[in-house]
Amino acid sequence: MTNKPGMIALAAVSALAVSSAWADEIKVGVIAPFSGPFAQYGVQYQQAIETYQAQHGTAAGDHEITFIYKDVGGVNPDQSRALAQELLIRERVDYLAGFTFTPNALAVGPVITQSETPTVIFNAATSAINAESPFFLRTSYTLPQVSAPAAEWAYDQGIRSVVTTVSDYGPGIDAEVSFKAAFEAKGGTVTDSVRMPLSTTDFTPILQRVKDQAPDAVFAFLPGGPPTFSFTKTYNENGLRDDGITFLGTAETEESNLQALGDLAVGLHTAYHYSAAHDSDENRAFLDALAELHPDGIVNWASVGAYDGVHLIYEMVAAAGTDGPAAVEAALGLAWESPRGPIEMDPETRTVIQNVYIREVARNPETGLLENVETGIIATVGDLGWNQ
Amino acid sequence: MTGRLLSIFLILAAGAAAYLLFPYNLAFLTRILIMIVLVLSLDLILGLAGIATLGQAAMYGAGAYAAGLFAIHVWADPVAGLLAGAVAGALLAAVSGAVLMRTQGLTLIMLTIAVAQICAEIANRARGVTGGADGLRGIRPGKVLGLWEFDFIGITGYWYAFAVMLLVFLALAIIARSPFGLSLRGIHESPERMVAIGVSVYRRRLAAYTMGGAIAGIAGALSAQITQLVSLESFSFTLSAEALIMLILGGTGRLYGAILGTVIFMAVHHVAAANDPFNWLFVIGALVLVVVFFLPRGLVALPVSLKRLAKGGRHAGT
Repeated sequence: MTNKPGMIALAAVSALAVSSAWADEIKVGVIAPFSGPFAQYGVQYQQAIETYQAQHGTAAGDHEITFIYKDVGGVNPDQSRALAQELLIRERVDYLAGFTFTPNALAVGPVITQSETPTVIFNAATSAINAESPFFLRTSYTLPQVSAPAAEWAYDQGIRSVVTTVSDYGPGIDAEVSFKAAFEAKGGTVTDSVRMPLSTTDFTPILQRVKDQAPDAVFAFLPGGPPTFSFTKTYNENGLRDDGITFLGTAETEESNLQALGDLAVGLHTAYHYSAAHDSDENRAFLDALAELHPDGIVNWASVGAYDGVHLIYEMVAAAGTDGPAAVEAALGLAWESPRGPIEMDPETRTVIQNVYIREVARNPETGLLENVETGIIATVGDLGWNQ
Repeated sequence: MTGRLLSIFLILAAGAAAYLLFPYNLAFLTRILIMIVLVLSLDLILGLAGIATLGQAAMYGAGAYAAGLFAIHVWADPVAGLLAGAVAGALLAAVSGAVLMRTQGLTLIMLTIAVAQICAEIANRARGVTGGADGLRGIRPGKVLGLWEFDFIGITGYWYAFAVMLLVFLALAIIARSPFGLSLRGIHESPERMVAIGVSVYRRRLAAYTMGGAIAGIAGALSAQITQLVSLESFSFTLSAEALIMLILGGTGRLYGAILGTVIFMAVHHVAAANDPFNWLFVIGALVLVVVFFLPRGLVALPVSLKRLAKGGRHAGT
């Protein structure tokens, strides 16, 4: 509708294509990293998709659903866009999904608008993506969605002064900005904002600077893996915990990395939308089904983002088949019970409205493993960064 | 002259054949063409003039951001955007080259990497202008020459990139045979002798580096217009390194080598990644190892090596 010549050309090519596919097969193209340092994302997406198909079958309505996986490597918008075009033109997919990094998602925006292809984002967490095309739907989260509630919770706990320490890259800066805005709106003060080089693993000088200022809490945002490990270790060793400076974070205490931290991590506070330790029947069913297929599979936010994304695709296919605009229409306002709790697709921002939990790291007495124990729901919110 | 006409004809035939054989892969073919332009720029600098660099992405990224910003703020015309990219690439190469071309060997390699890293960091910091880690959005190039709109399937994009690649190839073919190109070859073989016969080695190297920068800038501009997004990754070390691998694979110093290496590297990458998204890197690694061990002069030397092998020569590759 937005591009008549484009659609006609597409139809012409589609007519030319020799296809063995039967009429009721609907294909979903998954663009994600399956190689290189971020391959874990692709693995988790695939495991979550297989888990959903094992639980719910491969049919939605009268349609058979198949997934086609494409490796985008890492941050590579050129490749992402080329893969999207290839999936749409050659494989003739009706839905796209995946997308771990913001630039990769942004690059397909014009393509999916022209082809009217509903595209479900499993991970990429920058608010601005959904404004790029009305065909983007997001089942992950946005950074303001979790950082702002963390700020409000901190204020309600009596914390009045905070130093923010974030990794110096897009998501880190988003987290810093939204935390600061929410905390100052409540009446607290952010006394200092430190942006740390992305590649550093020595946080002693930064945390010493925090310690000298003696704030009530330190808010941190770091990419997972070694930096987080080193940061929390330094937090303890430099005596910030003993000085009563509360640790506030988001995804820093992800369970697969958490075990390496040991007892140092016990008591760390984070605000986030999903932990594999979430106590609900849906989550247990999800974890059991996934463990059956992939005994060594890691489950975290990326898994649940993909799992809910597949659910959304099934609902759209059942409601509208291959009609893109109608499918998006059917998805808006859709509510369901996810492993992370009740969620709803916000009709305005097209990002899910979900519970944000405040969690505290504790040792599970049964398994002996560290996990994020949810101590309460601090907010049920949609994308708070939409209008920023 | 007939040789040059024949090469133009061959490339045109290959371009048309690819278009007809793979009508559903135009987006991918276009990426190959863009990469060929970048690798050609590297061939001028490294293959012809012998300037060792691992930072060609600096000029590529500068061209991409320049073309993107030009399209957003000034004029959406694609050809004007290419010029903007070329100017940005040439400027960066001239300014950085003024220092870099005084150095040699490892120092030079380290410095070229540093320039690309600095550019990436500047683009990261200047979020308001470049979009930072999210990428530069909103590039909507106009019609090519006011006639052809960029279409969804990528037909315009393919022929546009193809035309640019062909022009760059021809320009480089002319440069390589010109007195300037010959003096670059001389510098590559022996800078001392060139100094002895009165050539300003520094100036020639700087001129070559600037030309290479302009071409890399054109490649970046093409990618900005085709993808309609520029990310920080266009300055990445990986891009510089991959371009170098493609050039070595094909064979340095000969323009066909740049084309052959890029096509083979990207095609193998594409097929291997499609068949096995998890382990395709092994295939690429094995390919590069085989070529480096058995064909040190690249794949363009394959026919010669085979001929020698058939004659019973012992060192087929050398």
